[in-house]
Amino acid sequence: MHEPLVILDPTDERAAIGRRLAPRPGTLTGTLGIVDIAKPRGDVFLDEIERLIRERLPALEVLRLRKPTYTKPSPPDLRDEVAARCQAVIQALAD
Amino acid sequence: MSDLPAPGALAPTFSLTTRDGAPVTFEDAVGDATLLVFFKHDCDTCHLTLPLVQRLHVALSPSGLRVVGVAQDAPDDAADVISRHDLTFPVALDAEFAVSADYGFDAVPALVLAGPDRRVLASFEGFTRPDVLNLTTLAAVACDAQAPRLVHDGDGLPEHRPGCGSKAHDPDVARRLAVRRGAATLGARRVHIPADDDPFEFMAAQGLDDGLPVVPPTEARVLRMLAGVSRPASDIVAQVPPNLAPATVEKIAINAVMAGCLPEYLPVVIAATEAACTDQFNLHGVLATTYFVTPVIVVNGPIRQEIGINCGNNAFGQGYRANATIGRALQLVVRNIGGGKPGGVDMSTLGQPGKFTCCLGELEEASCWEPLHVERGFDAGTSTVTVFAGEAPRAIRDQLSRTSRSLGASMGMCLKTMAHPKLHHVGEALLVVSPEHVRTFRRDGFTKADLRARIQEVTAQPLRELLPDEECQKGMALRAVPKTLLGPDGQPTETGLDTRLSKFQHDSDILVMVAGGTAGKFSAFLGGWANGASGSMAVTREIHR
Repeated sequence: MHEPLVILDPTDERAAIGRRLAPRPGTLTGTLGIVDIAKPRGDVFLDEIERLIRERLPALEVLRLRKPTYTKPSPPDLRDEVAARCQAVIQALAD
Repeated sequence: MSDLPAPGALAPTFSLTTRDGAPVTFEDAVGDATLLVFFKHDCDTCHLTLPLVQRLHVALSPSGLRVVGVAQDAPDDAADVISRHDLTFPVALDAEFAVSADYGFDAVPALVLAGPDRRVLASFEGFTRPDVLNLTTLAAVACDAQAPRLVHDGDGLPEHRPGCGSKAHDPDVARRLAVRRGAATLGARRVHIPADDDPFEFMAAQGLDDGLPVVPPTEARVLRMLAGVSRPASDIVAQVPPNLAPATVEKIAINAVMAGCLPEYLPVVIAATEAACTDQFNLHGVLATTYFVTPVIVVNGPIRQEIGINCGNNAFGQGYRANATIGRALQLVVRNIGGGKPGGVDMSTLGQPGKFTCCLGELEEASCWEPLHVERGFDAGTSTVTVFAGEAPRAIRDQLSRTSRSLGASMGMCLKTMAHPKLHHVGEALLVVSPEHVRTFRRDGFTKADLRARIQEVTAQPLRELLPDEECQKGMALRAVPKTLLGPDGQPTETGLDTRLSKFQHDSDILVMVAGGTAGKFSAFLGGWANGASGSMAVTREIHR
């Protein structure tokens, strides 16, 4: 068909980092983070989630957090805050 | 121009083999001196010289002279030369001509006499009596021996005879050697495509393409591409989203080859990559959004004519290599370097054809206004790219307006539909005015500022009509409504509801450029992406060559 051809790799050559989901907590304890990604009406949905959680799991602390804009990745500070303060987190997309 | 090492220079090392496979190396010389003689079988001057070299070998090797022949020949041809002249010194085969190229001579025979430290004592090409005499004398001095009389009156040898062209200078060989030398400077991983695989199918199977076949980026092609810029291949141009992977000049060149670019397009691709990877352009968001937008590349300045960027007829269309491949190269950079692929981070609901490629130039010569890049702070003589996150172009059809006021109204009424007629303050738009429409504006002395003001005037509508209602539940969100129109309860006041809002939050959100063929009262606009500064803003960068 043709001579063996050598080409140059057009990619960044970094092997994809395998990420696994964090272990699911069997029960909710401590602090639950609720992160609004700042899409329109995400707050409507998350307000309802918060209301239901406070009603059914009154012992749980709820921490509401919000991304500055949905158009860009989370700022590192926000990610750090979630990791440091929350035992579980709910994040929701909306429109 | 011969680059044969002159006396005093260091002779290059090498490691070759004879036709029997015996190693012949030249590192630090063994003995008092080494004489290298490069030759090829079909060169009469070589046949004139080699018997003299053999005599020198016989005379001085007992005193410490090491003679090495280097043949630019196939094994059988070299063997013929050895037997024809009864050569008893080792003859190495320079099958790839790499050693010949290292020694830089133009013609064979080429003789180099070096001392034990590899410093050249004498060197010459072709045949001349004085050179042979000089070399013989210096060899004898180096070996502390009597110089043999190789040339003398009545020996029948000519005074001089030019050599024959070195095979290292054959066009094919020179090209291959240049690739091999240049390739050593390229850092990208080599991917071997097996002989029984079709390279195009192989690359598609690896997911390196955009759905259309890509040009295999061989070392030779990438080196040719890199000749299009003066920057070092290892320079990092940008961190490309979404993976924030470093894009070196080399990696961009590889993708430019795949896209089908010519080397002179590379500076544009590099500048476009740089512009797109700014926080202001927000390529991550442009890529990840479910919306339609993709980088639209607008080129300004003298480079347009120099590399043949189409600014005229069918400016957004097919048929122009520079336009087609520059836009495609940026998309491949995002895909291959940044890792942004459809179905992965690219979650566009419908996408648009410009996601294959979208690049055009401004037809500055037909404009009655400052070109886009001058408005954005650059000199007219500077070449720039502006990247704009745009939808596909949409038509503005107006063959009837005879005044700029009317034509401006048409443009405004069309722009009002951007995203949704009830959505105002939703970011930038790129307005592309055609030459026939420019003629109307030129005649009236209508400036860009006049045009923007007219667009803002005709698109203005009371807030009341822009809010969601039962008739149409889409509309401006309250968070997008200027705070001055809201009361303490966060709801619009009566005055607020009657206040007329123009389509664009700022006049400068309307980017205006000129392009297109000379016939047709058709202009176009490309809608941007929502949210202005927190979405994506157009970015202009100078093109450096």
